[in-house]
Amino acid sequence: MTLDLRGVPCPLNWVRTKLALEELRPGERLEVLLDPGEPLESVPASARAAGHEVTVAGETVTIVRR
Amino acid sequence: MTLSDDALERYSRQLVLPEWTGAAQERLAGASAIVVGAGALGCPAATYLVAAGVGRLGLVDSDAVELSNLNRQPLHSTPDIGLNKAESAAAKLRLVNPDCLVETYPVRLEEVNAEAIVAGADVVVDCSDSFATRYLVNDACCAQGIPLVEGGVLGFSGLVLPIRPGESACYRCAFPSEPPAGAVPTCEEAGVLGATAGIVGAIQALEALKLLTGAVPARTDTILQLDAATLELTHVRTSRRPDCPACAPQSGA
Repeated sequence: MTLDLRGVPCPLNWVRTKLALEELRPGERLEVLLDPGEPLESVPASARAAGHEVTVAGETVTIVRR
Repeated sequence: MTLSDDALERYSRQLVLPEWTGAAQERLAGASAIVVGAGALGCPAATYLVAAGVGRLGLVDSDAVELSNLNRQPLHSTPDIGLNKAESAAAKLRLVNPDCLVETYPVRLEEVNAEAIVAGADVVVDCSDSFATRYLVNDACCAQGIPLVEGGVLGFSGLVLPIRPGESACYRCAFPSEPPAGAVPTCEEAGVLGATAGIVGAIQALEALKLLTGAVPARTDTILQLDAATLELTHVRTSRRPDCPACAPQSGA
Protein backbone atom coordinates (compact mmCIF):
# COMPACT_ATOMS: atom_id res chain seq x y z
CA MET A 1 0.00 0.00 0.00
CA THR A 2 1.32 3.47 -0.92
CA LEU A 3 0.29 6.74 0.71
CA ASP A 4 1.16 9.91 -1.19
CA LEU A 5 1.57 12.55 1.50
CA ARG A 6 3.48 15.07 -0.61
CA GLY A 7 1.98 18.49 0.14
CA VAL A 8 0.58 17.32 3.49
CA PRO A 9 2.16 19.29 6.36
CA CYS A 10 3.39 18.05 9.75
CA PRO A 11 1.91 16.66 11.92
CA LEU A 12 -1.02 15.71 9.64
CA ASN A 13 1.29 13.54 7.50
CA TRP A 14 2.24 11.47 10.56
CA VAL A 15 -1.42 11.26 11.69
CA ARG A 16 -2.39 9.86 8.27
CA THR A 17 0.55 7.45 8.34
CA LYS A 18 -0.29 6.31 11.85
CA LEU A 19 -3.96 5.65 11.00
CA ALA A 20 -2.98 3.76 7.84
CA LEU A 21 -0.61 1.61 9.92
CA GLU A 22 -3.44 0.85 12.35
CA GLU A 23 -5.29 -0.83 9.46
CA LEU A 24 -2.36 -3.17 8.71
CA ARG A 25 -1.44 -6.45 10.34
CA PRO A 26 1.95 -6.83 12.05
CA GLY A 27 4.66 -7.43 9.42
CA GLU A 28 2.71 -5.75 6.59
CA ARG A 29 4.39 -2.80 4.90
CA LEU A 30 3.32 0.71 4.03
CA GLU A 31 5.07 2.98 1.53
CA VAL A 32 4.83 6.70 2.22
CA LEU A 33 5.85 9.50 -0.16
CA LEU A 34 6.92 12.63 1.70
CA ASP A 35 8.23 16.12 1.00
CA PRO A 36 11.88 16.78 1.76
CA GLY A 37 12.69 18.80 4.88
CA GLU A 38 10.63 18.51 8.05
CA PRO A 39 8.28 15.76 6.76
CA LEU A 40 11.14 13.44 5.73
CA GLU A 41 12.83 14.11 9.06
CA SER A 42 9.92 13.78 11.44
CA VAL A 43 7.65 11.06 9.99
CA PRO A 44 10.35 8.34 9.93
CA ALA A 45 11.40 9.42 13.46
CA SER A 46 7.80 9.17 14.72
CA ALA A 47 7.39 5.76 13.07
CA ARG A 48 10.58 4.49 14.68
CA ALA A 49 9.52 5.90 18.06
CA ALA A 50 6.25 3.95 17.70
CA GLY A 51 8.32 0.78 17.30
CA HIS A 52 7.94 0.20 13.55
CA GLU A 53 10.76 -0.81 11.21
CA VAL A 54 11.62 2.09 8.90
CA THR A 55 13.77 2.45 5.78
CA VAL A 56 14.18 5.65 3.81
CA ALA A 57 15.10 5.72 0.10
CA GLY A 58 15.00 9.20 -1.38
CA GLU A 59 11.53 10.56 -0.74
CA THR A 60 10.00 7.13 -0.18
CA VAL A 61 9.70 5.82 3.35
CA THR A 62 8.91 2.15 3.87
CA ILE A 63 7.41 1.20 7.21
CA VAL A 64 6.89 -2.37 8.38
CA ARG A 65 4.16 -2.48 11.02
CA ARG A 66 5.35 -3.85 14.32
CA MET B 1 -16.75 4.73 10.77
CA THR B 2 -13.80 6.52 9.20
CA LEU B 3 -12.52 9.94 10.15
CA SER B 4 -13.07 12.72 7.61
CA ASP B 5 -10.25 14.98 6.41
CA ASP B 6 -11.62 17.76 8.63
CA ALA B 7 -11.74 15.42 11.62
CA LEU B 8 -8.13 14.35 11.06
CA GLU B 9 -7.06 17.98 11.07
CA ARG B 10 -9.32 18.98 13.99
CA TYR B 11 -8.04 16.13 16.18
CA SER B 12 -4.49 15.96 14.78
CA ARG B 13 -2.79 17.21 17.95
CA GLN B 14 -4.34 14.44 20.03
CA LEU B 15 -4.00 11.79 17.29
CA VAL B 16 -0.24 12.44 17.40
CA LEU B 17 -0.22 11.11 20.98
CA PRO B 18 1.10 7.53 20.89
CA GLU B 19 -1.67 6.44 23.30
CA TRP B 20 -4.45 8.05 21.24
CA THR B 21 -5.23 5.83 18.24
CA GLY B 22 -7.62 6.33 15.36
CA ALA B 23 -9.71 3.61 17.00
CA ALA B 24 -9.84 5.67 20.22
CA GLN B 25 -10.99 8.72 18.26
CA GLU B 26 -13.70 6.66 16.56
CA ARG B 27 -14.84 5.20 19.90
CA LEU B 28 -15.16 8.75 21.21
CA ALA B 29 -17.15 9.83 18.14
CA GLY B 30 -19.59 7.00 18.82
CA ALA B 31 -19.90 7.83 22.52
CA SER B 32 -22.53 9.71 24.49
CA ALA B 33 -21.68 11.76 27.60
CA ILE B 34 -23.91 13.44 30.16
CA VAL B 35 -22.60 16.44 32.10
CA VAL B 36 -24.68 17.23 35.17
CA GLY B 37 -24.40 20.96 35.85
CA ALA B 38 -23.33 23.69 33.41
CA GLY B 39 -21.51 25.74 36.01
CA ALA B 40 -17.96 26.11 37.29
CA LEU B 41 -17.02 22.45 36.71
CA GLY B 42 -19.44 21.71 33.89
CA CYS B 43 -18.19 24.53 31.64
CA PRO B 44 -14.60 23.27 31.38
CA ALA B 45 -15.58 19.59 31.53
CA ALA B 46 -18.11 19.94 28.68
CA THR B 47 -15.77 22.13 26.62
CA TYR B 48 -12.95 19.60 26.64
CA LEU B 49 -15.25 16.65 25.93
CA VAL B 50 -16.83 18.41 22.96
CA ALA B 51 -13.50 19.74 21.69
CA ALA B 52 -11.95 16.26 21.90
CA GLY B 53 -14.70 14.85 19.70
CA VAL B 54 -17.32 13.11 21.84
CA GLY B 55 -20.22 12.21 19.56
CA ARG B 56 -23.06 13.38 21.77
CA LEU B 57 -23.14 15.50 24.91
CA GLY B 58 -26.18 16.05 27.13
CA LEU B 59 -26.07 19.02 29.49
CA VAL B 60 -28.31 19.10 32.55
CA ASP B 61 -29.02 22.37 34.39
CA SER B 62 -32.24 24.07 35.46
CA ASP B 63 -30.68 27.33 36.67
CA ALA B 64 -30.44 30.66 34.90
CA VAL B 65 -27.12 32.45 34.33
CA GLU B 66 -26.48 35.05 37.05
CA LEU B 67 -23.94 37.87 37.20
CA SER B 68 -22.25 36.16 40.15
CA ASN B 69 -21.61 33.02 38.00
CA LEU B 70 -19.36 34.77 35.52
CA ASN B 71 -16.13 34.69 37.57
CA ARG B 72 -15.93 30.91 37.16
CA GLN B 73 -18.23 29.68 34.37
CA PRO B 74 -16.47 30.60 31.14
CA LEU B 75 -19.09 29.30 28.70
CA HIS B 76 -21.48 32.01 29.94
CA SER B 77 -21.06 35.67 29.02
CA THR B 78 -22.59 38.90 30.29
CA PRO B 79 -25.36 38.99 27.63
CA ASP B 80 -26.42 35.47 28.71
CA ILE B 81 -27.64 36.60 32.15
CA GLY B 82 -31.15 35.26 32.63
CA LEU B 83 -30.82 32.44 30.06
CA ASN B 84 -30.99 28.82 31.09
CA LYS B 85 -27.45 27.63 31.80
CA ALA B 86 -27.72 24.41 29.78
CA GLU B 87 -28.99 26.35 26.76
CA SER B 88 -26.38 29.10 27.17
CA ALA B 89 -23.51 26.62 27.41
CA ALA B 90 -24.85 24.45 24.57
CA ALA B 91 -24.90 27.41 22.17
CA LYS B 92 -21.13 27.95 22.71
CA LEU B 93 -20.32 24.23 22.62
CA ARG B 94 -22.01 23.85 19.20
CA LEU B 95 -19.62 26.51 17.90
CA VAL B 96 -16.62 24.72 19.43
CA ASN B 97 -17.39 21.53 17.52
CA PRO B 98 -20.34 21.26 15.11
CA ASP B 99 -19.67 17.52 14.77
CA CYS B 100 -20.85 16.96 18.35
CA LEU B 101 -24.58 16.65 18.98
CA VAL B 102 -25.18 18.86 22.04
CA GLU B 103 -28.52 18.33 23.75
CA THR B 104 -29.95 20.19 26.74
CA TYR B 105 -31.95 19.10 29.75
CA PRO B 106 -33.12 22.37 31.33
CA VAL B 107 -34.32 20.51 34.43
CA ARG B 108 -33.04 19.80 37.91
CA LEU B 109 -31.75 16.23 38.28
CA GLU B 110 -33.91 14.64 40.95
CA GLU B 111 -34.81 11.19 42.19
CA VAL B 112 -37.71 10.92 39.74
CA ASN B 113 -35.68 11.71 36.60
CA ALA B 114 -32.08 10.70 37.48
CA GLU B 115 -32.22 7.21 35.98
CA ALA B 116 -33.91 8.42 32.78
CA ILE B 117 -31.40 11.25 32.27
CA VAL B 118 -28.31 9.03 32.54
CA ALA B 119 -29.86 6.08 30.63
CA GLY B 120 -27.88 5.19 27.51
CA ALA B 121 -24.87 7.35 28.38
CA ASP B 122 -21.39 5.89 28.03
CA VAL B 123 -20.06 8.22 30.72
CA VAL B 124 -21.53 10.72 33.17
CA VAL B 125 -19.55 13.67 34.52
CA ASP B 126 -21.02 14.95 37.76
CA CYS B 127 -20.46 18.69 37.95
CA SER B 128 -23.34 19.33 40.33
CA ASP B 129 -23.13 21.55 43.36
CA SER B 130 -24.87 19.55 46.07
CA PHE B 131 -24.20 16.36 47.97
CA ALA B 132 -27.78 15.21 47.46
CA THR B 133 -27.42 15.43 43.67
CA ARG B 134 -24.05 13.62 43.76
CA TYR B 135 -25.56 10.64 45.58
CA LEU B 136 -28.47 10.57 43.12
CA VAL B 137 -26.11 10.62 40.12
CA ASN B 138 -23.87 8.00 41.70
CA ASP B 139 -26.77 5.68 42.51
CA ALA B 140 -28.31 6.04 39.04
CA CYS B 141 -24.95 5.29 37.35
CA CYS B 142 -24.31 2.32 39.65
CA ALA B 143 -27.78 0.92 38.91
CA GLN B 144 -27.10 1.08 35.15
CA GLY B 145 -23.36 0.30 35.20
CA ILE B 146 -22.43 3.64 33.63
CA PRO B 147 -18.87 4.93 34.23
CA LEU B 148 -18.89 8.19 36.17
CA VAL B 149 -16.50 10.96 37.13
CA GLU B 150 -17.38 12.67 40.38
CA GLY B 151 -15.92 16.07 41.19
CA GLY B 152 -16.23 18.94 43.57
CA VAL B 153 -14.61 22.25 44.40
CA LEU B 154 -14.81 24.52 47.42
CA GLY B 155 -12.50 27.33 48.35
CA PHE B 156 -9.02 26.22 47.29
CA SER B 157 -9.90 22.52 47.63
CA GLY B 158 -10.85 20.24 44.78
CA LEU B 159 -11.72 16.56 44.49
CA VAL B 160 -12.07 14.09 41.61
CA LEU B 161 -13.06 10.41 41.70
CA PRO B 162 -13.44 8.35 38.49
CA ILE B 163 -15.75 5.37 38.95
CA ARG B 164 -16.35 2.14 37.04
CA PRO B 165 -19.45 0.76 38.80
CA GLY B 166 -19.06 -2.86 39.80
CA GLU B 167 -15.28 -2.68 39.31
CA SER B 168 -14.08 0.24 41.42
CA ALA B 169 -15.18 2.23 44.45
CA CYS B 170 -18.26 4.37 43.84
CA TYR B 171 -18.93 7.75 45.47
CA ARG B 172 -20.95 6.04 48.21
CA CYS B 173 -18.11 3.56 48.87
CA ALA B 174 -15.70 6.48 49.32
CA PHE B 175 -18.17 8.72 51.18
CA PRO B 176 -20.84 6.48 52.72
CA SER B 177 -23.01 9.23 54.14
CA GLU B 178 -23.94 12.77 53.25
CA PRO B 179 -22.38 15.32 55.61
CA PRO B 180 -24.97 16.83 57.96
CA ALA B 181 -26.63 20.01 56.69
CA GLY B 182 -24.46 23.01 57.52
CA ALA B 183 -21.32 20.91 58.19
CA VAL B 184 -19.78 21.81 54.82
CA PRO B 185 -20.02 25.43 53.68
CA THR B 186 -21.57 26.16 50.31
CA CYS B 187 -19.78 27.84 47.42
CA GLU B 188 -21.53 31.09 48.41
CA GLU B 189 -20.09 30.85 51.93
CA ALA B 190 -16.62 29.48 51.18
CA GLY B 191 -15.98 31.21 47.86
CA VAL B 192 -14.17 29.85 44.82
CA LEU B 193 -11.85 31.14 42.12
CA GLY B 194 -12.76 30.24 38.56
CA ALA B 195 -9.22 29.04 37.89
CA THR B 196 -9.45 26.47 40.69
CA ALA B 197 -12.74 25.11 39.35
CA GLY B 198 -11.21 25.07 35.86
CA ILE B 199 -8.48 22.67 36.99
CA VAL B 200 -10.99 20.30 38.59
CA GLY B 201 -13.37 20.39 35.62
CA ALA B 202 -10.50 19.78 33.20
CA ILE B 203 -9.34 16.76 35.24
CA GLN B 204 -12.91 15.42 35.19
CA ALA B 205 -12.96 15.71 31.39
CA LEU B 206 -9.57 14.00 31.18
CA GLU B 207 -10.75 11.05 33.28
CA ALA B 208 -14.00 10.84 31.28
CA LEU B 209 -11.97 10.69 28.04
CA LYS B 210 -9.88 7.87 29.53
CA LEU B 211 -13.03 5.98 30.60
CA LEU B 212 -14.58 6.42 27.13
CA THR B 213 -11.59 5.49 24.98
CA GLY B 214 -9.39 3.30 27.17
CA ALA B 215 -6.42 5.15 25.65
CA VAL B 216 -4.98 5.40 29.16
CA PRO B 217 -6.47 3.75 32.27
CA ALA B 218 -8.55 6.13 34.42
CA ARG B 219 -7.33 6.59 37.98
CA THR B 220 -10.14 4.63 39.64
CA ASP B 221 -10.11 3.70 43.35
CA THR B 222 -8.25 6.96 43.97
CA ILE B 223 -9.67 10.17 45.40
CA LEU B 224 -7.63 12.95 43.85
CA GLN B 225 -7.44 15.90 46.21
CA LEU B 226 -6.21 19.25 44.94
CA ASP B 227 -4.97 22.04 47.17
CA ALA B 228 -4.97 24.94 44.74
CA ALA B 229 -3.26 27.21 47.30
CA THR B 230 -0.11 25.09 47.49
CA LEU B 231 -0.70 23.24 44.18
CA GLU B 232 -0.35 19.94 46.03
CA LEU B 233 -2.12 16.90 44.58
CA THR B 234 -2.83 14.06 47.00
CA HIS B 235 -3.95 10.56 46.01
CA VAL B 236 -6.13 8.93 48.64
CA ARG B 237 -6.69 5.22 47.99
CA THR B 238 -10.25 4.03 48.33
CA SER B 239 -11.89 0.70 47.61
CA ARG B 240 -15.26 -0.94 47.10
CA ARG B 241 -17.35 -1.63 50.18
CA PRO B 242 -18.92 -5.10 50.07
CA ASP B 243 -22.03 -3.68 51.80
CA CYS B 244 -22.35 -0.55 49.63
CA PRO B 245 -26.06 0.14 49.12
CA ALA B 246 -25.36 1.59 45.65
CA CYS B 247 -22.87 -0.76 43.98
CA ALA B 248 -22.64 -4.02 45.95
CA PRO B 249 -23.95 -7.00 43.94
CA GLN B 250 -26.63 -7.85 46.54
CA SER B 251 -27.88 -4.27 46.69
CA GLY B 252 -30.15 -4.94 43.73
CA ALA B 253 -29.38 -1.43 42.57
